[in-house]
Amino acid sequence: MGLIKIFTKAKCPRCPAVKEIGTELKKEGVPVLNYDLDTIDGLAEASFYSILSTPSIVIEDEEEREVISWRGVVPTLQEVKRHLFRGIP
Amino acid sequence: MATVIDIKGDHQEFKEEVETTDMALFVRTSDEAMLGWDRQRIVDALIRETYVDFDTAKEIAREVEDLIATSKIKMITAPLIRELVDTKLVERGLEQARKMHTRLGMPLYDVDQLILHPNKENANVPHGPEATNLTLAERIKKEYALLSVFSQEIADAHMRGDIHLHDLGFIDRPYCSGQSLEYIKRFGLSLPNSIAMAKPAKHPEVLLAHMVKFAAALQSHFAGAIGWDSINLFFAPYLVGMSDQELEQLAQMMIFEFSQQAVARGGQAIFTDLNLYWEIPKHFENVPAIGPGGEFTGKTYSDYLEESQRFAKALFDIYQEGDGSGRPFFFPKPLVHITEKFFKTPGHMDFLYHICDVASEKGNTYFVFDRGETAKISECCRLSFKLDQTDLEDAKQPWKMRYCALQNVTLNLPRIAYLAKGEDSKLFSKIAEFVQMAVKAHLEKKLFIEKLLSLGEKGPLALLAMERDGSPYLRMHRASFLVGMVGLNELVQIHTGQEMHQSKQAFKFGLKVIAHMKLLVDKFSQRYGMRFVLEQTPAESTAYRFAKLDLKFHSPKSGHIVKGDLSKGEVYYTNSTYLNNSAVLNPIERVRQEGLFHPLIEAGALTHIWLGEARPLKSSLANFVIKTFQLTQNDQVAFSPEFTTCNRCYRTSRGLRSSCVYCGSEDVDGITRITGYFTKVSSWNKGKIGELRNRYRNQTFLKEKEEGMALES
Repeated sequence: MGLIKIFTKAKCPRCPAVKEIGTELKKEGVPVLNYDLDTIDGLAEASFYSILSTPSIVIEDEEEREVISWRGVVPTLQEVKRHLFRGIP
Repeated sequence: MATVIDIKGDHQEFKEEVETTDMALFVRTSDEAMLGWDRQRIVDALIRETYVDFDTAKEIAREVEDLIATSKIKMITAPLIRELVDTKLVERGLEQARKMHTRLGMPLYDVDQLILHPNKENANVPHGPEATNLTLAERIKKEYALLSVFSQEIADAHMRGDIHLHDLGFIDRPYCSGQSLEYIKRFGLSLPNSIAMAKPAKHPEVLLAHMVKFAAALQSHFAGAIGWDSINLFFAPYLVGMSDQELEQLAQMMIFEFSQQAVARGGQAIFTDLNLYWEIPKHFENVPAIGPGGEFTGKTYSDYLEESQRFAKALFDIYQEGDGSGRPFFFPKPLVHITEKFFKTPGHMDFLYHICDVASEKGNTYFVFDRGETAKISECCRLSFKLDQTDLEDAKQPWKMRYCALQNVTLNLPRIAYLAKGEDSKLFSKIAEFVQMAVKAHLEKKLFIEKLLSLGEKGPLALLAMERDGSPYLRMHRASFLVGMVGLNELVQIHTGQEMHQSKQAFKFGLKVIAHMKLLVDKFSQRYGMRFVLEQTPAESTAYRFAKLDLKFHSPKSGHIVKGDLSKGEVYYTNSTYLNNSAVLNPIERVRQEGLFHPLIEAGALTHIWLGEARPLKSSLANFVIKTFQLTQNDQVAFSPEFTTCNRCYRTSRGLRSSCVYCGSEDVDGITRITGYFTKVSSWNKGKIGELRNRYRNQTFLKEKEEGMALES
């Protein structure tokens, strides 16, 4: 299982939905990192992944390689889980 | 002109026989007249130029007169008198008055050097009497700017090398601009102070003549580049029915007109950018076209696709041939916009191969990537204006699309890292401090330019104040204020111990620095209602200047950091957000990594691919360009080959060589891209020479690519 990175902004209308997905996954023990694009660290990390719109979600493998991402769209929790737990017996 | 005072006769005699006010001194004035000594002139100057009171002024004048009378000097100059007066002001603690009373000028030795030797601050200025005039004027205006336009805090920061205020010698002009040909198509050539007014052009050759003259007029009002938007499209209504031969002739005229040296300001070629599109840009699709005589043709620009494309092709045919001796044209620079629509427009692959062929052969083509709904106008070495909703609304009346950057202020990023001594919090607060200084410098310059513009069409910036379409030519509310950077790579190196290409952590730290700067300029934009934006400064001489100053102020640490050859004085910092020039990176990786910074640098960014002697296949470059568009965030790329031109047989060969491959002469000159333009290597400053020696040429990689080994992924 990899790591999930969530990119949001304070004034983005669809961001709360993605934050909620993050909260749910955290409860299930998934490592979730939240990045706010209005902060230095958030904007720098978003630039590293070429995130140009919010909300965005990136799933990484153990070696910090991008497995899949949703950019400017809100996936369902199930969709994220499907990719997150793919390959785990 | 300097005035000189000659003392006729012996001083001792004056002292003994006459009142000092009757001294037989003569002043050679700038009006070429000889005037007698008059102490009152010192009083008048002090009252006129400073805030000192009348009694103090009289006292100072008498003291200075006494000093001159009792001295043994045989001949004194007006600057000396002024210095003596200034000494008296300093003695009285009148620092502000001394500043106001300062004389601007240059030492005799410096003028002598300037007339005899070329100025290497800008490789686009040739050496000659006209260029000397330009440099002399620039020196005075630079001093004026630092004393009178900017506050002492900002001037000192510039002098120390914390920041660099660009084009101080052009303090009374904005920095650079983006233009619309539609303005002269609609209003003709009607310039303030001009002795003849021309109505809108009826023929393409006349339109070109108007464009060239207007560009020259604009060059006299802007410090830097003049960019022209969608030039092939806006010429198109004039080109209906023209044969291929006629089109080629027009294209040739356009390129030669803009490339010929020594015709304009200071003998300097006009830094011209031609923005070109294969498709009809979306925002011009339904715009009524203006044709001969400034009349609407009754069609929209969508109806002129064929003419627009034919003209773009013809221009590149000329670029491919090069000038009379096969050299690449230095100007005008062709910038082709690669957009989503480009790939949907029939014939795009043939055109792409054509412009890639030119890029490989001569290096001229700049590939500007406008992804998604982005549209922009490029100018200068990399500066671009991203068009927002208001601009797209203006596009319905394209003559309104006139943009400018008022000034460029560059931060010395390595300096910040030296000062932070490894502490993160100190580093980030210093960055904020430096950005704030840049903002203050912009506010001061804006105030000054607004003062000049307020004089309207009778003032010094008449051209920019003219209102042919109901609003001033220079649209201040759309002006950008640029905050540039030099040496991000070295900042990261000093602070983390690694250069950006050496580790992911170091690279990410670089991103953090630029993200911080981006958030800061956004905040200042909101606070002041102005458009502060980051730009990759071309930094032709700034990267050299900062490195030299840091060697002085931050030695010995800086000795391990600056790039280039210390023993030869060929030192520099890596420009803007670039990765180390000598780092061995495959070009796609360089384009991808450097491109990660580009969305943060709103006013324009560019990645160079140094080709050296390599001449890649057009299909390889086309593939490269498509991948760059699809897979990266890179804003703009340019491929730079190198050439040797012979000053004896006038032939040009590939690569940088010490002698001509055709005639063996050693009287040769190198040609390649210095920053955002081509020029002769002999005109480069030492820092750029150092960088040239270090540039990693992608020859091996490109060769492997040709063999089908590398780029396919």
